[in-house]
Amino acid sequence: MMPLLRSELRKVTTTKVLFFLTLAVVLFTALNVFLLVYLTPSAMGVENNDQLLMNPDYVTNIIGAAGSSSIFVLILGIVAMTGEFRHMTITSTLLITPRRSRVLIAKGVVFLAIGAVIGLIAFATAIALATLTLSGTDHAPIDSGVALQILGGVVLGFAIYAFLGVSVGALIRNQVAAVVGALVWVLVLEALLTVFVDWIGKWLPGGALDAVLQSTNVSGRGGSEVLSIGAGAAVLVGYAVLLGALASTTTMRRDIT
Amino acid sequence: MPTTGQTLTVENLSKRFGKVHAVQDLSFNVEPGRVTGFLGPNGSGKTTTLRCMLGLVRPSSGAARIGGRVYRDLDHPGRVVGAALEASGFHPGRTARGHLRVISDALGLPKSRADEVLELVGLVDAAGRKAGGFSLGMRQRLSLAAALVGDPGILILDEPANGLDPEGIAWLRGLLRSLAREGKTVLVSSHVLSEVQQTVDDVVIISRGSLVQAGTLAELAGNGAVRVRVRSPRREALIAALQMGTEGNPPAAIEQMGHDELLVTGLSPGDIGRSAFLAGVELHELAQQTNDLESLFLELTATGTPGGTA
Repeated sequence: MMPLLRSELRKVTTTKVLFFLTLAVVLFTALNVFLLVYLTPSAMGVENNDQLLMNPDYVTNIIGAAGSSSIFVLILGIVAMTGEFRHMTITSTLLITPRRSRVLIAKGVVFLAIGAVIGLIAFATAIALATLTLSGTDHAPIDSGVALQILGGVVLGFAIYAFLGVSVGALIRNQVAAVVGALVWVLVLEALLTVFVDWIGKWLPGGALDAVLQSTNVSGRGGSEVLSIGAGAAVLVGYAVLLGALASTTTMRRDIT
Repeated sequence: MPTTGQTLTVENLSKRFGKVHAVQDLSFNVEPGRVTGFLGPNGSGKTTTLRCMLGLVRPSSGAARIGGRVYRDLDHPGRVVGAALEASGFHPGRTARGHLRVISDALGLPKSRADEVLELVGLVDAAGRKAGGFSLGMRQRLSLAAALVGDPGILILDEPANGLDPEGIAWLRGLLRSLAREGKTVLVSSHVLSEVQQTVDDVVIISRGSLVQAGTLAELAGNGAVRVRVRSPRREALIAALQMGTEGNPPAAIEQMGHDELLVTGLSPGDIGRSAFLAGVELHELAQQTNDLESLFLELTATGTPGGTA
């Protein structure tokens, strides 16, 4: 399995998609931090930023912006898997590893690791920019315990989300369809479902991710209830494994022509 | 010590895509130490057969085996078989070296192996360039390099000469010959016999998914009916003599050409000369036509429908 993992990692490091999506994560996280620090207080009609920034929960939210860019991590996993079919590199992949489920597992494992690293980068971006932008103003202190919790959540959540992306890509082999489908699901369908059936929200992938990220209050997904971090992570892993297993028995068994 | 090859066995292989019978009850062997040409017109089922051999396409019935085992049961398939299936299986943004390193990593080989095969196929100068910008000829070389990474005993190449210039084709011929000399099994598909005629020892010819002929190139050449061109001022007398047949010779098929020519099929120049001598007929020309393998190949596969993908 080690050679296979090394090969899967090499695939990611020899193309630019990882760099650009990581860059997108950094920029999007930065944007969210800036919005929360500078724009939201005035937009909310608060005359003095201090009123919001003195609220510890609000400051926690600013750090929580680290989790705001999760969609890019999902897309990274999808693009990596569907890219094999799009560019027909799946042929040379399967020539070396004809047992297709092994390829799927190896890619899933590699993207768990990559997702975790991107989560770390997102957290570093958020905490650094939050510290920087808040330094000139009065604000509630950043609780290091809470910050650590967010760090753990973002690393874990992004890791599983990237893995989930690989499974989605294996199931929907068309790259455009898979990316658009994932965006529509995350941005529209899941929120819509939750509006109509509130209890279902926490069991959906986005709701489970928010439980892991502990950021339901900013995303609006997941309904009014949230799972615990552990339960959220388990649900999210469940989705990734289930979709991967489904792909293994359906789409991944198809003839490669 | 280079890795030597094993025998490839195709047994009653059939593959149906919906209503299309791409391959039907196909059986043949490919032996090590020889270059085998896998020939047939476009759409005759060559690529489907190769993909069945390599575990990429599931046969509807029958099987293809490598040294007695199906591809997915091989312990280290990438070290046993090297395959170059199409010139398009590259990520356009990945460099030639990157592509090969993905493969050498998966095979558990050192990174340096990528540069070795790049050297072997003459792509060293393009090692750091992205495959997306490669010409068809360069893509062919990169495909071949990818097939060679694991130093496999068996090479399966689908239309490897496509897009190569004459110099490239000559180079490919030399490479394949030397690999076969090392004892490797080399299977090369093509839709043009003349492209591989000087390279192959054996031929497997298919048309519309079924076997037309399998054997050595020499056998194929011998199989074609020998034609002899004869000129005689007494053509009618010669025809009469030939049609009678002599000493157990079969009566010949005779075609009249020009005012004094005949094209005789089924008799050797010696037979014709003897008949003419015994009948006292003067001959002005007696020449065996060189056997044109390409037109023979076209005849053999002529029943196929043109077009479609291989």
